[in-house]
Amino acid sequence: MPGKLSAWPARVDVLQSLSGLLLVLFVWAHMFFESSILLGEDAMYRVTKMFEGEPLFGKPYPLLVSAVGIAVLTLVVVHAVLALRKFPGSSRQYGQLRQHMGALRHPDTTLWYVQCVTGFLLFFLVSVHLYTVITQPGNIGPYASADRIWSERFWIVYALLLVTVHLHAAIGVYRLAMKWYPPTGANPRAHRRRRKRAMWCILAFFLTLGCASLLTYMYLGYQHADRAGERYQPGTTVLATEED
Amino acid sequence: MQIIHTDVLVIGGGLAGQRAAIGARRRGHKAIVLSLVPAKRSHSAAAQGGMQASLGNCLGASGDNEDIHFADTVRGSDWGADQAVVRMFTHTAPKAIRELAAWGVPWNRVQRGERDITVDGQRQRIEESDAAHGLITSRNFGGTGKWRACYVSDGTGHAMLYTMSNQAIAAGIPVHERMEAMALIHDGERCSGAIVRDLRTGELLAYIAKATCIATGGFGRIYRVSTNAVINEGMGAAIALETGIAQLGNMEAIQFHPTAIVPAGILVTEGCRGDGGLLLDRAGHRFMPDYEPDKMELASRDVVSRRMEQHIAAGQGVQGRFGEHLWLDIRLLGAAHIEHNLREVKEICRYFLGIDPVSELIPVRPAQHYSMGGVRTDHTGHSPQLRGLFAAGEAACWDIHGFNRLGGNSVAETVVAGMIVGDSMADFCDSAEGSLQLSTALVDRFARRERERLAAIASGSGGESAFEITRLMQETMTANVGIFRHGAGLQQAVEALQVLQRRAANITLRSSAAGPNPELVAAYRVQRMLKLAQCVAYGALQRTESRGAHYRADFPRRNDQKWLRRTLASWPSASAELPTLDYEVLDIMRMELPPGWRGYGDKDYIAHPDASARQREIDAVVAALGDTDRYRRQQALMPFKHLLPGHLRGRNARLGDPT
Amino acid sequence: MNTIPVSEAPRSLLIRILRHNPCDPDSAPHFESFELEEAEAMTLFIALNEIRQTLDPSLQFDFVCRAGICGSCGMIINGRPGLACRTLTRDLPQCITLAPLPGFELIGDLSVNTGKWMRGMAERLETWVHAQHLERVDIDQLEQRMEPELAEKLYELERCIECGCCIAACGTAQMHEDFVGAVGLNQVTRFHLDPRDERSDAEFYQLVGDETGVFGCMTLLGCEDYCPKDLPLATQIAFLRRRMVATAR
Repeated sequence: MPGKLSAWPARVDVLQSLSGLLLVLFVWAHMFFESSILLGEDAMYRVTKMFEGEPLFGKPYPLLVSAVGIAVLTLVVVHAVLALRKFPGSSRQYGQLRQHMGALRHPDTTLWYVQCVTGFLLFFLVSVHLYTVITQPGNIGPYASADRIWSERFWIVYALLLVTVHLHAAIGVYRLAMKWYPPTGANPRAHRRRRKRAMWCILAFFLTLGCASLLTYMYLGYQHADRAGERYQPGTTVLATEED
Repeated sequence: MQIIHTDVLVIGGGLAGQRAAIGARRRGHKAIVLSLVPAKRSHSAAAQGGMQASLGNCLGASGDNEDIHFADTVRGSDWGADQAVVRMFTHTAPKAIRELAAWGVPWNRVQRGERDITVDGQRQRIEESDAAHGLITSRNFGGTGKWRACYVSDGTGHAMLYTMSNQAIAAGIPVHERMEAMALIHDGERCSGAIVRDLRTGELLAYIAKATCIATGGFGRIYRVSTNAVINEGMGAAIALETGIAQLGNMEAIQFHPTAIVPAGILVTEGCRGDGGLLLDRAGHRFMPDYEPDKMELASRDVVSRRMEQHIAAGQGVQGRFGEHLWLDIRLLGAAHIEHNLREVKEICRYFLGIDPVSELIPVRPAQHYSMGGVRTDHTGHSPQLRGLFAAGEAACWDIHGFNRLGGNSVAETVVAGMIVGDSMADFCDSAEGSLQLSTALVDRFARRERERLAAIASGSGGESAFEITRLMQETMTANVGIFRHGAGLQQAVEALQVLQRRAANITLRSSAAGPNPELVAAYRVQRMLKLAQCVAYGALQRTESRGAHYRADFPRRNDQKWLRRTLASWPSASAELPTLDYEVLDIMRMELPPGWRGYGDKDYIAHPDASARQREIDAVVAALGDTDRYRRQQALMPFKHLLPGHLRGRNARLGDPT
Repeated sequence: MNTIPVSEAPRSLLIRILRHNPCDPDSAPHFESFELEEAEAMTLFIALNEIRQTLDPSLQFDFVCRAGICGSCGMIINGRPGLACRTLTRDLPQCITLAPLPGFELIGDLSVNTGKWMRGMAERLETWVHAQHLERVDIDQLEQRMEPELAEKLYELERCIECGCCIAACGTAQMHEDFVGAVGLNQVTRFHLDPRDERSDAEFYQLVGDETGVFGCMTLLGCEDYCPKDLPLATQIAFLRRRMVATAR
């Protein structure tokens, strides 16, 4: 590009959106896999083994999970660094933003602020979560996870993570859509209202799914508390429906 | 005190002022524009319906040319216009519109094929030609023989002003915003700039210029009910008047627009009627055909406004909460048309009346709209009395409007006059006369005078309120110097204004706020507005005839024998209570179109003997020419091209010209 | 037929105005309240003028056309930016709080220097038709043709009145003074759409291809939601963003 401005601002803008989109897709997929516990310990066990590559290599390689964890962490760091540019950079800017929001009470601006706050929290919560995943990739399983959640009190972290990540993701997807392809046509306002309704529906869905899974893990962990540390063996459950 | 030097000083940042500045800048002169407000907020932006130029592209305009535009304008003016200047204007208008088209104005274009229009209350189907597709289209307006008002939806002035302002920015012309010219610096013969007040800080500055152009628009705010913006207080014309030397022409010629909404007085465009809208009375009856069977709703504005007031006086008005009014009906144009071509009208109705004009009637009544009068200039826009002083646009009496302006001719005038006056200021700067030897003592004297004046107001203790005097002036003008005027009322107005003028010398400010102090602004402005109001009222009192928008109930006939002349008002002594009036005779023997019936309005007038003599002369000239084209015929009757700058003399090409 | 509802007894309005006169060294920003009897069809234009004429003659505010077309009277009305001249008091609660538009230099009370800001923006983004030989257009000849639909589209974008409401409604513009805002970006798309403007995408990129331009926008949508002219600002900014990304590739 000739001239004083380089192509980087454009690339960085795309990269921020793209990294966000990938993370959202990852989180949503993650939710479905995680909620396999609702189908029983065995279903969840199979999912974990699938991600450790057992169906492919004949035996599990937990390091694969670490690798994915590192990749996701990288994406999170990239996304966070890019997003950080947009945060208020000084107390003066922060003050102006707060005053602006307070007076305007504009829903979409407030949603952006929610993203700022959740994004900030997520950086810590996700780090804790990914640290355990990366360092103890083998400790993911119906009992291992349930014990961590209940006996090691990780449910506090996960409950916070659940709420922040889904708020951040659902709002983020709505904003992405408005940023790149806002509604056109005869009644763009009505169209936008529909998009926003879809955003709230998605949020409600994943929060419900997430809460149900977390409660199941907590219940499982509570049941399993006296045997904490013991790993799940396939076919030994009373919770799951039997599969072959 | 800060002194700023420039070649050309333009006072007023509307269409006329900015175009004049661009013209001078292109000729290599430094130009500065002063504006009360950011230039893009000037009142030019409020012109809605269109700009007249005889392009002749669309079906309703086919066959149009400068000759028809000329005749429409002269008839519209009730023969008060300067016909040579009208020729210059109608010849340059198509060029102005084409220049603006190249500069970026998104003029509405002709769409080939069939479409429905509304004429005389009926839907009609017409078909636009392939050849015209994509050229600039136009709509019908009052008092015109062809569809000639080129438009950008109903935001014509806005689009023109933004394009013009952007071109001025591109040309690097500084616009000094929130600056008010307080006095013209002059030595009795030569104007050399202005003393200016900064409306952000209240400080005084001096601008020294070889040429100074007044382009401050009209002075509608001397009336209570006006479509004008609140800044249209005529301060440009007033400081010209206060030189005691420059003259103001035809100040009594005030236009009242038929369709201002009630009660806000906000304009809805003549395009509403041009596109087929109707005027209805309390019974829902369409009354205009009863009075004007030929032109109906589309007679000239002075005639329609008068007929409306006449109809209200006959008891046919609608009794509303804010007094009587009539209805404007554009429902028959259909939702699609209103949403595309009358969208500002729709917005105005929604916000100020809470109605949707697609399905509801708009309450309207005539309101003050335009000042035909202003700083009298010659055909180049130069003041004949004060060298170096120019004027353009509504602030000027260049005189294409005479006693009534046609809709769409005002925005056209701003740009055309800007083109011509820009050049003539450049010519003046280039000439020997243009060089400036100015003593600083003169600048100091004017600065001191203004400072003392402001100090006198600030320390005044007479107890009068500037706001109250303004209100009383506006009431007086609306009550007694309105659409229907008569001797007794005018006499009363003149006396009331004299009293107000005395009271205005005794204003006491309640606020001594630092900075611009809005109360101080109101105080010095009302003193000047009263002088303008007095020029209007006194001029109207003296003019014992009815011509165009000036209607005397006690002298209802146009009197060409006595009054085919232009009023020239000056204010030679600051202590005088009345202006000095002079008159400039309009020479029928040099007219291309001698006075006659306008084709609408009253048929009864007192003819001048020269009119028939001139007509015989014209017939003889035309007969002697034999079979010739319209250009040669016109040239033989009243040559005008030599009056134009060289680059504006070319013939205007039109669709269907023989190649 | 007149649809303005008649109210029984006039309300007594309480109008709180954020006041400050920068010309006065002793002045500090503070709220001042004025009581005013509401009239039929009263707009803030009428109310503010009445306050100035009867209660406090030093009150500063800007009105020009008072018809919602010139963009002078943008201010913060009960927290939201809007045009005061066309705001009817009957649509507001009894207590009305007015403040100057933030993001612009304050001239005094409710008057801000939007003109200076807009001129700076226009110079920076070069918001005019760029064409060679513009000074030598042959204005005697027929104008260049244009599709009627395109002309209407251009006008749609040109309806912006530079009132500054989008800047006051924009969190980004409030935090970053050098952001050109929706008003600037919309004007760029207007000239980008105009075939008379000969600038290439690469040249437009040089005007808006950074954080002060289109990539500074965080899609907070305040501009779109508070634009008094209902301009399709989000659509225009998204279009520009996509075009500029495509150009940078």
